[in-house]
Amino acid sequence: MSVETAATGATPARRMAPAAPTSWRHRHLIDVDVVTWPEIELIMRTTDEMKGVLARPIRKVPALNGRRVTTLFYEASTRTRVSFETAARNLSADVVSIATATSSVTKGESLVDTIRTLEALGAEILVMRHSVSGAPYLAAEVFGGHVLNGGDGWHAHPTQALLDLYTMRQHLPDGDLRGRKVAIVGDILHSRVARSNVWSLTAAGADLWLCGPATLLRGMDRWATAWSGGTIPGHGRFNVTSDVRAALRDADVVMALRIQRERMQGGLLPSLREYAARFGLNAERVSLARPEAIVMHPGPMNEGVEIAPDVANSGRAVITEQVANGVAVRMALLYLLAGAHEAARGHEAPRTSEAAGTSEAAR
Amino acid sequence: MSPQPQRARGATAPGPGVGQVVERFELEKAWLVDPVSGREGPGEIVVTDGVLESVVWLEGDEAKGVSADGVVVTPGFLDLHAHFREPGFEDAETMASGTAAAAHGGYTTVAVMPSTSPALDEPGVLERIRAAARAGGSPVEVLAYGAVSADRAGEQLSAMGELADAGVIGYSDDGLPVRAPKLMRSALLYAGMLGLPIVEHAEDLELTAGAEANEGYVASILGLAGWPTAAEVNAVARDLAVFADALHDEPRARLHLTHLSTAASLDLVRRANAAGLPVTCDVTPHHLAFTDEWIAGARRWSWEALGADGTSRDPWADAALTAWPYNTSLRVNPPLRTPADAAACLAALLDGTASAVVTDHAPHTAVDKEVEFGQAVNGISGIETALGVLLALVDAGKLPLARAIAVLTTGPAAIAAGWPAVAATAAARQRGLTEGAPADLVVFDRADTWTVTAGSLLSKGKNSPLIGRELSGRVLLTIAAGRLAYEDPAAGDE
Repeated sequence: MSVETAATGATPARRMAPAAPTSWRHRHLIDVDVVTWPEIELIMRTTDEMKGVLARPIRKVPALNGRRVTTLFYEASTRTRVSFETAARNLSADVVSIATATSSVTKGESLVDTIRTLEALGAEILVMRHSVSGAPYLAAEVFGGHVLNGGDGWHAHPTQALLDLYTMRQHLPDGDLRGRKVAIVGDILHSRVARSNVWSLTAAGADLWLCGPATLLRGMDRWATAWSGGTIPGHGRFNVTSDVRAALRDADVVMALRIQRERMQGGLLPSLREYAARFGLNAERVSLARPEAIVMHPGPMNEGVEIAPDVANSGRAVITEQVANGVAVRMALLYLLAGAHEAARGHEAPRTSEAAGTSEAAR
Repeated sequence: MSPQPQRARGATAPGPGVGQVVERFELEKAWLVDPVSGREGPGEIVVTDGVLESVVWLEGDEAKGVSADGVVVTPGFLDLHAHFREPGFEDAETMASGTAAAAHGGYTTVAVMPSTSPALDEPGVLERIRAAARAGGSPVEVLAYGAVSADRAGEQLSAMGELADAGVIGYSDDGLPVRAPKLMRSALLYAGMLGLPIVEHAEDLELTAGAEANEGYVASILGLAGWPTAAEVNAVARDLAVFADALHDEPRARLHLTHLSTAASLDLVRRANAAGLPVTCDVTPHHLAFTDEWIAGARRWSWEALGADGTSRDPWADAALTAWPYNTSLRVNPPLRTPADAAACLAALLDGTASAVVTDHAPHTAVDKEVEFGQAVNGISGIETALGVLLALVDAGKLPLARAIAVLTTGPAAIAAGWPAVAATAAARQRGLTEGAPADLVVFDRADTWTVTAGSLLSKGKNSPLIGRELSGRVLLTIAAGRLAYEDPAAGDE
């Protein structure tokens, strides 16, 4: 472990670019993978401004007055949907909310048809949650407006990763994650939160550790191994381990991920009790982290499984701050997407003619 | 390729329409490839009244200016594995559209899989297929496999004897493996008694439940459920063990493993062959040339994605992601694997472990493909692009032209010739440029390219990952059994 050295900046995982002024050029936000570090800094600065709005007696600005935001959730979610809708309303946008149980999706309408219908009804910014990895890319192929990913399958949850990053920066000196050890413990295999955090935290220069039972890490070691040479421009290496003590030792940030009951039925875990005993974040394990370390959780929590109640309710826990920051980050992203210049070209993978029924102009 | 702009055409146009006997077709100064004699070089052919009247090999001054980089003539191709969807899924493909697509790809004989609705598990369905093929008017010969199990349900044997009498060339539950090892043993024995093979789609369904993409680096980043190589290796190992056992009781039992996709499973076959087991296998163009990184948006060929040390190059590090990710035309069973696996497929072709390339042509409708990646059906529409993909390997110096043609012609025919009851049929026919035989050949131009588009594909299935891409080796003419099967629309314009 070289946390002491790393924290002093002697071995920065990456050379951080200065926070040069930059403008937003992405039409959609589907994952953090295509967002550069200066763009992340722009999101962070914009979030600062939104935090200022939220500190006012009247938490509302007219930035998106008359703009139409539609939330389309194919998967049950309360906190994320409410967070997006609160963010949109704080910006004075008109909000249409669609949950699959009340839409024609239950009549078997395809995603593509649903998206085209919503566009015809005037949707401009589509916030989408879907249980299938990659679904927002399909939506973005046919949608004429902006797609903001609210979580897809195991793939990505960019607003969560960005609010996590924002919250970590608030608690670290100078908001600098370079060399700071971040341990994420839980069901890594099925976690879109973990995957998006890999992109943002390795871009931030953090010393990232992903930890969980071997059955819930499957395949992730290949990702970590491939990056062990620091091969992706702007992204540092990270570690994958089943040794929870090694992951937590001297950590600056500790994050627990939700463990779902289905994992036992799938033969991946003997029992939740055994998970809690071996991997649960209890006071004894958290004491391995640095004294000033913070404890995070994307929610909803299973207290007593992945996180002990006394840890979740301790002074180190910043879980409600994450929720509050989530509104500000989502305000920032809605604002940036709505303001994206019409001619802006994202450096998302270019649309090709193989995408049926799409045109170059729709990128 | 060296430039050779000449687009040699027949001095006289072939017959007026598809299905007509080719009365007269002459081709001067082309590159002939005869995989039966093993000879290739400059030559001329003449077809008269559907018969390959003369094959002349040119030498000396006459051969000047003729190279393998221009117009090439080879025997018509044989595809041992395709899906033409009729009966039951005619919105995805019909016998008419499937045979037209096959001829556009240079194929003159195609063996279709029984995964129709109803499944080809009794002779009545075969009659429907034959009637539809006749009605389509194409001279492309359609052969068929019967199902191993009734309704492909994996529980009891299909009407194997009646299917054999009706003329199936083997049995397969393709799309699915023969699930129970006990049924596999029975099927090998019973089919062996009939002189026919079991053509196996090797997959351990327990390991692939819910799987979306090859387990590894790319699937991990994309959050796609991993499809382990172990699922194929395990199934192949089972099949080899059961086959070895069955051979003791029925020496005519035959096993052919189709669309193998992993280095480890191909190595099992290589070792079984070395030990004397008469097992055969094939690979597909897509497992040779595409890899799992295409799902992330890469579009470089498999050999361009292979690092110097045999490992995968990183498409993210290389900034090789040029296309929209999660394209469902890339969802296929078995899944696209790593560059190392693709290299192993090529090595198997080169050392003879796999002696055939099959297309596993699997056309699908937009309704089944324009959906979320995890909900899309499996399959690639590939019978029209197989030649172009193999020529890309030839152009890259990875595969000799003669070998590329052999694995489309004599290779699959030799596999079929190993099936006792098939040895005397069209599937096992010698595929050479033989004077005096009915003309069965394809003419393509390596100096000419074509762009794969929804419009240029004659198949109803537009689910090709190559849409928008240029391929070399435009097919100018396909003649099947002396009749016109395909003619390039531009032919004769000059």
